[in-house]
Parts: sequence; C-alpha cells; structure tokens
Amino acid sequence: MTSTTALTDEAVQAGPPVTLPPRRRRLPPARIVGQVLLYALLIVIAIIYIFPFLVQVSTSFKTDAEATSDAVSLIPSTVTFAAYERLFTRSDFPLWFANSAVVTVLVTLGRVFFVSLAGYALARLRFRGRTVIFAMVVAVMAVPTVVLLIPKFLVLNQLGMYDSYAGMIIPLLVDAAGVFIMKNFFESIPPSVEEQARIDGAGAFRIFWSIVLPMARPALVTIVILSFQGSWNELSHFIVSTQSPELTTLTKGVAGLASGQLSQGNQYPLKLAAAAIMTIPVAVLFFIFQKRIMNTSEGAVKG
Amino acid sequence: MKRHTAVRLLGVGALATTAALTLAACGQGFDDGGGSDASDDLTSSDDALTVMIGSSGEAETAAVEEAIAAWSAESGVDAEVLAATNLSQELAQGFAAGSPPDLFYLSTDQLAGFVDNGSVRAYGDLLDNKDDFYPSLVSNFTVDGEFVCAPKDFSTLALVINTTLWEAAGLTDADIPTTWDELASVAQTLTTDGRVGLAFGAEYQRLGAFMAQAGGRLVSADGTEAVADSPENVEALTYVKDHLADGTFAFAADIGAGWGGEAFGKELAAMVVEGNWITGGLAADFPDVEYTVAQLPEGPAGPGTMQFTNCWGMASDSPNQEAVLDLVEYLTSTDQQLAFSEAFGPMPSIESAAADWEAANPELAAFLAGSDYAIGMPTNIGITEVITDFNAQLESLATGDPQQMLESVQTNLEAVVGG
Amino acid sequence: MTATVHTPRRAGSRGGLRRGEGVAGWLFTLPIIVILGLFLFVPVLMALWVSFSDWSGRGSPLSSNVSFVGLQNYAAITTDGGLPERNFGLALRNNAWYVLLVVPLQTALSLFLAVLVSRAALRGRGFFRTAFYFPSVTSSVAITVLWLFLFSTTGVVNEVLSWIGLNGPNWFNEPRGILHLALAGLGVDAAPQSLASGSFLGVTWWDWLAGPSVAMTALILMAVFTTSGTFMLLFIAALQNIGGELSEAAMMDGANGWQRFWRITLPQLRPTLFTVITLGLIGCWQVFDQIYTGTQGAPGKTTMTPAYLSYTSAFTDQQWGIGAAISFILFLIIIVFTIFQRWVLRERAVSRRRRRPYEQAIAAAASRRAAS
Repeated sequence: MTSTTALTDEAVQAGPPVTLPPRRRRLPPARIVGQVLLYALLIVIAIIYIFPFLVQVSTSFKTDAEATSDAVSLIPSTVTFAAYERLFTRSDFPLWFANSAVVTVLVTLGRVFFVSLAGYALARLRFRGRTVIFAMVVAVMAVPTVVLLIPKFLVLNQLGMYDSYAGMIIPLLVDAAGVFIMKNFFESIPPSVEEQARIDGAGAFRIFWSIVLPMARPALVTIVILSFQGSWNELSHFIVSTQSPELTTLTKGVAGLASGQLSQGNQYPLKLAAAAIMTIPVAVLFFIFQKRIMNTSEGAVKG
Repeated sequence: MKRHTAVRLLGVGALATTAALTLAACGQGFDDGGGSDASDDLTSSDDALTVMIGSSGEAETAAVEEAIAAWSAESGVDAEVLAATNLSQELAQGFAAGSPPDLFYLSTDQLAGFVDNGSVRAYGDLLDNKDDFYPSLVSNFTVDGEFVCAPKDFSTLALVINTTLWEAAGLTDADIPTTWDELASVAQTLTTDGRVGLAFGAEYQRLGAFMAQAGGRLVSADGTEAVADSPENVEALTYVKDHLADGTFAFAADIGAGWGGEAFGKELAAMVVEGNWITGGLAADFPDVEYTVAQLPEGPAGPGTMQFTNCWGMASDSPNQEAVLDLVEYLTSTDQQLAFSEAFGPMPSIESAAADWEAANPELAAFLAGSDYAIGMPTNIGITEVITDFNAQLESLATGDPQQMLESVQTNLEAVVGG
Repeated sequence: MTATVHTPRRAGSRGGLRRGEGVAGWLFTLPIIVILGLFLFVPVLMALWVSFSDWSGRGSPLSSNVSFVGLQNYAAITTDGGLPERNFGLALRNNAWYVLLVVPLQTALSLFLAVLVSRAALRGRGFFRTAFYFPSVTSSVAITVLWLFLFSTTGVVNEVLSWIGLNGPNWFNEPRGILHLALAGLGVDAAPQSLASGSFLGVTWWDWLAGPSVAMTALILMAVFTTSGTFMLLFIAALQNIGGELSEAAMMDGANGWQRFWRITLPQLRPTLFTVITLGLIGCWQVFDQIYTGTQGAPGKTTMTPAYLSYTSAFTDQQWGIGAAISFILFLIIIVFTIFQRWVLRERAVSRRRRRPYEQAIAAAASRRAAS
C-alpha cells in the first residue's frame, strides 16, 4: 500500500485539490455507451417501480369486467366512476378516513411533544435514574412488534380502554426510536444558549419550550414525518385494540375489503380505488418533505 | 457503583411488580364469567342489542337488517346489525374482551368450544317453538344433552346446472346424472376451451358430498370415532382427483373464481356443487344466468350430500338476554324464515314451514330432498383446525396422494375426537 | 456535556442553578415511562404469564381460575406431535424461506440501486431516488391490495409474461414450493425415501426443502419492492460518507470497477450493511400485515407465518396460551438471528498469512527511509 501512503502524503502537501471548470469534452465512446446503458437500466427499473401505481389508478376507473379481462392497459376503454361512487356512498370509507385522520393527527402531535420532552431530559437534564430510563428505551426498541399483539389486547382490556379512541391513540403516543432521535439531536446542540437562559433564571421547562425546541425544528420534522407515516399505516395495533365498526380505520377497513365477502366478485376497481386514496396523504407528505426525507440517513423503516 | 446498579435494578423491579399488581387489581375490562348460569334467569335491561352475522353478501345483510328493524319497531328494543368480515375472529375477540355481540351466527364447529368456556348461553329449552325444529338440526346444536341454540336455517349441497349451456351441448333432462359415471361423462361433454364441466370449492365442505356418496365420512355419526382414512373416502377423493387431472372438474380458485357461485355466474363452469345460498348470490350478481337444480348423483354407496346449518348464539355476557330470546323466536318464525329464504336462499329450520317453502320454490326442491340423506359437519371441539388443515391439503388434490392426505387427517382427528 | 463545572454532582442536588432539575427530569420522562411501561413492558410480562397458563379466553388472565401449567403450551407447539406442532413447523418453514430470500435480495438490490444512483455524473438523480423510494412510503395494506391485483390469474404480471411467451402460474393460489417445482422439472417428482421419513416439528424434511410456494414468492417480491427504497437511502448516505479517495487510489493501482467495489467500497460499507441486514432480519421474521390482508395463510398454509399463526391461534381459535408461546419463541429466534448475524459480520483481525506482504512492504519502506 505504499502508493496509497505516497498519495496521501502528496495530497496533504499539495493542499486541497483544484477544481477545474467543467469543460465540454468528447467522452470516449466506451464512456458514452456506459452512460447510455446506465440510463437505460435506471429507466427500466424506474418503470418497474412506477408502473404498478399507474395501473392502480387507471384500474380504479375501469369497470369490474374490464379490470379482470384487460389488466395491463393504462387507459380504460370506458372511464367509469362506479368504484369511487360505491366507495364513498355505499361503504364506510369516509368514516374510516375520518378515524385514521383523527388518530394520526393526535398521535403525531402527542408524539412530537412527549418524545422531544423525554429526549431533552435524557440529553440535558441530570437526574437520578436517567441511565436506567435510557436503557429501558433502548431495550424496548429491541422487542419485536409481533410479540406485543396478544399482550396489548390483554392490557387494554384490563385497563378498560379496549374498543375506544383512547385505546387506539394512547399506546401509540410514544415511540422509542423517536426518543432516540431527539436525544441524539439535543446532544448535538451547543449548550451555551441554555446555560445563558439558566443563569437568567429560567426553569427547565421554560428553557425547553422557548429556547431549545424552536432550535430543534429539523429533528421535529423528522419525527412528524415518521409518526404520520407510522400511525397512518398502522394495522396490527388497530386490529387488537378495537372491534366496533365505528372505530375502524383505513388500514383495517381496506384490509377487510381485500379479504372480501363471499359472492361479491373480484371488485378490483373498488379495492384499488380504496388503496389509492389511502395512499394519497402519505404520498403528499412524502413529496412535500422529499428533500428532508432523502437527506436524512435515518429514513423510515418498514417491517 | 455496584450498589447503585443493584439499587436501580431493585427499583425497576419494584416498579414492574407494582404495575402488574395494580393491573390485576383493576381488571375492570374483564368480566369474570364464572361458568354458565346455574339459574334459568335470563338477564334483562334496556340496552340495545348488537347482532353479528357472517353475511354471504349484500342480499343477506339487507334481509337481516330489514327483519331486525321490523322487530325493533314492534318490540321497542333497539338493535344493530353488524356484518363481520371474519366472524370467528371477531367473536373470539369479543368474548375475550367481555363485550361480545348479544346475538350472533354460531356454526356447528365453533359451538362446542364456546359452550366449553362459558361464552355462550344455552336457551334452546326456553323457546316456544323448540319442538318445531328438525331433529337432525337440534342434535347438531345439542351439547352434553343441552339444546344450546336455535337453528336459524339450513342448506344442503346440490348440483346446479347452467340450462343454456346444457341445452347448447345437446343434453336433455334425461341426461341429468344420477351416477358418478354419468356425472363424469356429462362433465366431459360440457367441458370446452375456457370452461370446465364441473367446479366446486377446494374444501371438505364440498368434497364431503362425494365422500358421503361413497359411504365414507370424517367422524362417525355419534361423534366418537374418527373414520377419515377409510377406503370409501379414498375412493371418493381418487374419483375427484382423476377428473381434476383430466380437466373436466376444477376447483373454483384454479379457474379464477372466488367460489363456486362466481365460477357459475361467470360461466367458467357449466355445473357447480353448491348450496342454497347460491340463489341469492346469482340473483344479485349474475341475474341473467339460467339454471336448474338437481340432486347430486349417487355414488357407489348411494345418495349423499352435506348439510350446513348455523344457529343463533346468545352471549352469556349479554345484558338483555330476554330481548334476545324474543328476537330469536321472531327470527325463527315461519313468515320470517320464508322471507329470508326468498332473499338469500337457505331452507327454514322448522318443519312446519317445509310445505310452504316447497310450494314457493318448486325449482329448488332438490335441496330439500337432499336433507333426507345429508350428513352434517362434525361438531367436536377443535374440529375447525383439523378441517382447515384438510382443506389446505385438498388444494393440492390434483397432484397429491388421497391416501396420505386422509391418513394425516385421521391422525389429527384422533387427537380431537374421543376424549 | 455541559461546559460548566465538572465536579460530579448528585442529581437533584441542593441549590444552585441545577435545583429542580431532578424533578424536571422525572416529569419530562414520566409520559414515556408510563406509556412504554404500561403498553410495552407490562404487556410482555402478561403475555409471558398467559403462555405459561391455561387461560381459555374469557375473564381476566390474572384471575384465580387461571392456573399455571408450566411448559405445556410450549410443548404443544414443539414436541407434542399434533396439529399445533405441525402448524408451527409449517409457519417456521415458510418464514425461514421468506427471510432467506428477502434479506439478501433486498440488501443486494438496495445496494445496487444506491450505487447506480450515486454515480457521479447523473441527471435526474432526484427523480430516480424518488421513484425507487416511493413504494416504501405506502402502507402494507395498500400495497398488498395492489399486489393481489397485479398477480391475479389474469393480472398484469401474467399478461406481461405472456408477451414473452411464458405461461404465468396462478400466483396466489399455487401452493407448491418453487424448489419442488424446479426438481419436478428435472424429473424428481416424489420425495426420496431418506427425506420423506424423517421430520422436524411435524413437517417432513422433504417438505422443509420445498422452498417458498409460488404464492409466497409473490409476497417475497412484494417485500423486496417495498423495502429496497428505504435501504437504498441508507446506502446512499453511507456511500456519500465514504468518499472517493481510496477508490481513486485503487484505480491508479490498476484495479477495475468490480475489484474496486468488492474490495474497497464494500468493506467500508460494513456498518451500514450490518444495519440493513439486521433491520431486514427483524422485519422479515415478523411478517403479519401482508398475510392478514392478502392471503390469510392460504394456499395450503404456505403463506402462514409464526406472527400470523400466533394471532390466529389466539384470536380465532381461542388458544391464547399457544398464541403467546409462539410469539415468545419468535422473539427468541429474532434475538438468535441478530446475534448470529452480528457475529458473522464482525470485524475480524486480518489473518497472518494475508498480512505478511503488507508487513514486508512496510518494513521495506521503513528501512529505506531509515537508510536515506
């Protein structure tokens, strides 16, 4: 590896590399072919990734028969709104949407608040038991969700919270990963501003609320994105925490649609329309915060 | 440091224990149902009722809702109908949570389990019309000598034939098959490109008819012995397998349909083995298909078909059981049962309605005729799992070994039947 | 952490600027303690109790009617020889094949996409990243519904396959395993005696080796489709952090693209690789939503997974003890896999044999420098 050592020495002695202004120059043919292949490959893969969603939208405007007979075509031969009409007028879809919206908004707000509180406390405040609590948070992150299906049902029953909005929302209010993210973020902020405020006599909550939290916007946005996506797309928790039809959320309702009832036929346009509308809010959120999502190395983890 | 850690761990442990004990103390969500009632008193209150059904489609849901609304108006007790997407799961979850529906469809295979853990209240002997039900149905719903719940209706399997395709293939009434060989040849005649002669679901609930025709069954009639691996059953499954292989029979799922009725309605099959409920489904989704119903052909051991029935289950935890009893008597009355039958097909569970039903539905007489020799589903506790497993294996019948399948079912059955 | 006095103070100390911090700390973390404790920690304890008890599904599991039965539930699914054991065996088999195929495929695909998208001169990089990441944003329910449509008998996939002359299988209704199908294609139709006789957890060795069923394969493709985007982002971030120095140096040394990737880039990606594989393993062993929405274990129980089996045993069959037992065994499996995977990917000291040329070169260079 002597040449590496040499390169490093030289690089250090020569200083930062000089960037030449980009010149238009003819690439050697091999490079052009390489570039073309690269683009072709990327485009093919991108088509594979995008096509299913295009088909989904176009099928939602087809008739049941056409959806079965001619699945691939992106343009329906007869555009019909029957699926949407059925979805909105003859099923509980609007109720499901409302339930999902309520739960998601409340969970997101709650999570942002509680998680940043806890993250700040674990990062900045000195109190007895801090390490134990943090260890508990980390330990909880290791428990897989599947183990919690049955137990959560049992606990919700014991507490009398089964089949209620409280039972749907409260368990989702705290997310161990979120605490982790906020703690890391708060640890990276320089403490001088807080010190100043403390000297001025501000209490811990005041410091947190008025000074530190506004500085935490980027991390908070991450938490908002993650909790919105997480609670909007949540299924197993709603299965075990509710049973009445009035509390059905989008995920549970569309899952029920998908498993279908006897003698109802395939009804693909209906199911796909439901799935498409269900995806719109998270898609909108995604496109708005795209840059933010793409640039953070945490990403949203799906099971 | 070690002392600190020990203290901390103790603290956490104490917290956890306290939390657990607190939970145990405030177990308010649960009803400590201490077994079935010793007294015959039904509960009574002003609470509205919830009725949970496992609907076969919009026709059934609408019919039940209408009936219950009429009863509500008459009796003054509010009632709500819930159509479950997964009835057994929703029932089990409701029982475990202590908030089950007051009245619900209860199938023969779930009956024993729910009676066993006290979720269901036996009320059969309290019914005004308890002597009117068919004896075979009553025995289906009798556990340990107690008549638990009122049969709501029953259906049998029969052969449903697409008359247009039948006549187009040059067949007449005389060709309606009465033996296995005739069935095979007729199916062959009707099989064309893109359409099979005979279709049915890949489950014991359909193939059991063939097994009955060969003289076999899963569990002996008195429910004490597992007889799945009999040569008669092997014969029946081999017959089906042979014709699955030569393309004249097919499973509904394999030809792109969700169930036999859909395969029939879309004319993916010219004949199907289905039950009474097909009439409602066809009327709703495929009204243009013309059909006739014939009794299933006889097998080597004579005629055989299957009978399905559900009852109206009453929850032990219901706060208003008196109203539920009243509702059940209403729903099993002659007029109401005939109305249900017209809406979605099944036959009334009371003998006094049989004549009226036949008069109203002469074209469906084959279904009623089948009840003379039909066998029901086994009712032992834990039978559902065995049948689910059998059905899973049946899906590969075309390439599988019937003997092996039946032997595995026999092993599973022996664990469940006879103690 | 703070810039002030470093003398270790006991928390909640008397007076001074930090007075009340102890109380504040506890107050701030109280919500998460209560909620995490109540809805994550305590439930696990309760489920552990249920798995060791005979609770039948009615009344409180902590009431006095419920008794301790030791390892009975665990035995029922591992050694008793009945249907629960066989179901558990099938579920494990299905999930094992799922993990075996999904984790490498999604890791490789996301790495591949990350490398492609990270190429220096690429226009429309944002567009491609968005396109590849979008499926990860959708809910598993929505994607499963879409997949059921795409892979139906007359669906898009089969139509596309017919364009190139292939007859697509009846995807979600085909219970035969792909390995069995491949072997059948080579003429091996039935189980060889040795594999047909022995069994583990009620499933014959021949059936263990059946491979994922065609239906499961459709679900595997779906998993790769939806998770490759997320992991692609992780890899992109890691690739950006690595920088190009070592690669360029290797290029000057004459290494071609493949060698550069394999020997220089990939080892530096080790931490990210570890993260991706761990997350993949943990996620794959818990497949539930897709099964609940899409196939419910059918066809022929080949898409049944331990998570779904745990749910149905408890909520549908009312075998709560068995359901809880299954979930804890799954927990153990996940832990074992994670530890094993950590061990396999650990940083290992370079062996002496491989070190020698480098040591010799360094020694030579050092002696030259000393001499000059």
